[in-house]
Amino acid sequence: MTYHDRLIISTCTALVLIALAAPPAARAAETKGPVTDPIGVVTIPKGAPIQFGGYWVMSGADSALGIDEKRGVELAIKDEGGMLLGHPIKLNVEDDGCNAEGGQTAATKLAADPNAVIVLGPACSSAATPGAPILWKAGVVDVATATTAPSLTAPDRKPEYDGFVRTIYSDIDQGAADAKYVYDVVKARKIVTVHDGSPYAQQLAAVMADNFKKLGGEVLSVEAVSPTEVDMHPVLTRIATEKPDMIYAPVFVAAGAQLLRQEKDTPGLGNVPLIGSSGQMAPDIISAAGQAVVGYRITYPDVSPEAMGAGYPKLVKEYTDTYGEPPISGYHANAYDAAVLAMKAIEQVAKTDASGATYIGRKALRDAVLTIKFDGVSGPIACDSHGECAKFKPAVYEFTNADPSTFKIGVNPKKVWPQSSSASAQ
Amino acid sequence: MAEASAARSLLANLHRRARFGFVDVALWGLRIAVVAVIAAGTAGTLIKGRYGVGDWFDFLTYGVTMGSVYALIALGYTMVYGVLRLINFAHGDIMMTGAFSGYFLAAHFDQTGFLRREPALAMLAVLALGVATSTTVALLTERFAYRPFRRVRGLAPLICAIGVSFFLEQSFRGAFGSGVHAYPDTKWQNETVSVFGFGVPVVEIIVVAIAVASMTVLYLIVQRTRMGAAMRAVSEDAEAAAMMGIDVDRVIVFTFALGGAMAGVAGVCYAFVFKQVYFFMGFTPGVKAFGAAVLGGIGSVPGAMLAGLFLGVVESVGPALFLDGIGIPAPYQLRDLIAFTLLIMVLIFRPYGIMGERMARKRA
Repeated sequence: MTYHDRLIISTCTALVLIALAAPPAARAAETKGPVTDPIGVVTIPKGAPIQFGGYWVMSGADSALGIDEKRGVELAIKDEGGMLLGHPIKLNVEDDGCNAEGGQTAATKLAADPNAVIVLGPACSSAATPGAPILWKAGVVDVATATTAPSLTAPDRKPEYDGFVRTIYSDIDQGAADAKYVYDVVKARKIVTVHDGSPYAQQLAAVMADNFKKLGGEVLSVEAVSPTEVDMHPVLTRIATEKPDMIYAPVFVAAGAQLLRQEKDTPGLGNVPLIGSSGQMAPDIISAAGQAVVGYRITYPDVSPEAMGAGYPKLVKEYTDTYGEPPISGYHANAYDAAVLAMKAIEQVAKTDASGATYIGRKALRDAVLTIKFDGVSGPIACDSHGECAKFKPAVYEFTNADPSTFKIGVNPKKVWPQSSSASAQ
Repeated sequence: MAEASAARSLLANLHRRARFGFVDVALWGLRIAVVAVIAAGTAGTLIKGRYGVGDWFDFLTYGVTMGSVYALIALGYTMVYGVLRLINFAHGDIMMTGAFSGYFLAAHFDQTGFLRREPALAMLAVLALGVATSTTVALLTERFAYRPFRRVRGLAPLICAIGVSFFLEQSFRGAFGSGVHAYPDTKWQNETVSVFGFGVPVVEIIVVAIAVASMTVLYLIVQRTRMGAAMRAVSEDAEAAAMMGIDVDRVIVFTFALGGAMAGVAGVCYAFVFKQVYFFMGFTPGVKAFGAAVLGGIGSVPGAMLAGLFLGVVESVGPALFLDGIGIPAPYQLRDLIAFTLLIMVLIFRPYGIMGERMARKRA
């Protein structure tokens, strides 16, 4: 190897090391047309589409969550006539698989598009946790539609989540409401919680357990299973040794269905109620659990017409007319409001020049999202400074039929708590 | 003379000690750590006394049931590896095809009421269809995917196997959706019978019985028939077997058919117990069963059977026995860790597997 070769190799190595060691460069201020923005400007030529990204779980046992939310966004865009500021709206959707790897991949792909104005979704906190920082690093605001993990909008969240907002409640609220229901209504005093290691399930189980203990209850143990685990018998046998009054398992469809089926066969647990949560509101839980689903209760936001915004019945009719079936999950209204929030924010900050091109400042868009308030179809939307834009209205639903074709929120499963009169009072 | 001999012996010892390097120390450390965790965990669990005899019996029963399924799948891996030196990574998905076809028939029987009227006949028919489907898929896979790579060395056959795995998963996803389908659940399946005074679900006894019967038949085929002898001959040395007049192609096709049949039995048994089928259901049990095949000594039929059962029992009993006692919270989240630690330990300390040595000596 000659001196020249060694010099080239050393220089390249040094450059690579410097590149790896250096902190990521701050996005530079940019001026395009009439807009100057500290982190960048998106230019949309006349007639070109405004690019909306979307990432949801579109396959697997939890796909009803993602498909339902995508439909909510599509309906919001349709209600705007598919146009915004004279540009057609184009929705580019990626499947995140409701897991961290999928969220990272989907967000990376969406962030790589320099014309992406804003991203909607995801449904799962597992996907949002790695996805949101990737998007915000590229200056793209992420309006989530059903991710409820408290850490995503916590006051102490890291700066890389500054571009993340959501039109869905935090599990801080749901955990507290679930604990109250279990303590006051079910009258359970000793419980076991089961999570699947996902940010959603783990954080919701922890918040619920904390609140339950504050109410005077005892959490005998915190158990965990893998989201794809099929053999729940050993963990259920372990739980049975603790003799709980109730098992609280806010996991997703596949694991939830296995827990439900196998719990009934486990000695000592035959009469111990199992309560699930919002990750299981989908027809797939009926398909997966079969007959065991009858009588199964899950805690969920109250999506009865009296608890939702004024426009909700119209949205349900439009949904049913467009897709030929009633809503397949319960977050289409939150997704609808996410899209409305995005469109309102774009309208507020976009500027158009004489050629008809539209310019949107990225930081300005994020700031606008945080300040806009409106009465959405899911309820009032008003973000706090950490991106939390919605409130939780508690309810409990019970499955009444093992035929998946009977799935209709409010019918199967039917709302069993609170009763309608109290629901309307909230 | 004696002094000189002692000096030589001392030098030889010193030389050996000098070769006892960092890796050996690390491996011994790993051995000691694993044994210490097992011993401390077991002692701690037993002292705590949280689990009664009935609980341990339940853990064991669940483990044997799961292990029977692992063993059935592992047989397919190990037989194909034996004759082709190919790791058929699509084998878990071949099991899935059997479970899926059985599901459609079982759902039909459930709708018509046949499953309740004639449960034994219905289950036999479901099992037969599952076996037929998996066997057909295995044979098609061999003919169209693996045979063109028969003489190819390197990684191409392995990559082809991974491709077949994706192909099967995505085909079933496209055809039947990505959701989970529930196997029909009849009351008699959930009833329990008393074994040594403990209640055991009927379905688990049936599954273990089917698995044991299937494995016995397979073992007899391999050990007592001309085709079985031919399989063993090809497994030892395919070229020599061909020179002795054995039709190697026919043997390979027969091996895939046997492996496919076992996968079909495994798929239907799996669905009987866990009552769910979906397109990706073959992946995890496939990986675990491959681990069992390696654990038993890949290429060894009795090894795969024993290791499958062993893996199932360790997965079921291990978290409660080893981890509970040392205060690890939610130990069942770590059951895969126990299974794969076991596999890694075997690969490090006994790379030829539990039953692999006997075969290696025979070959030698």
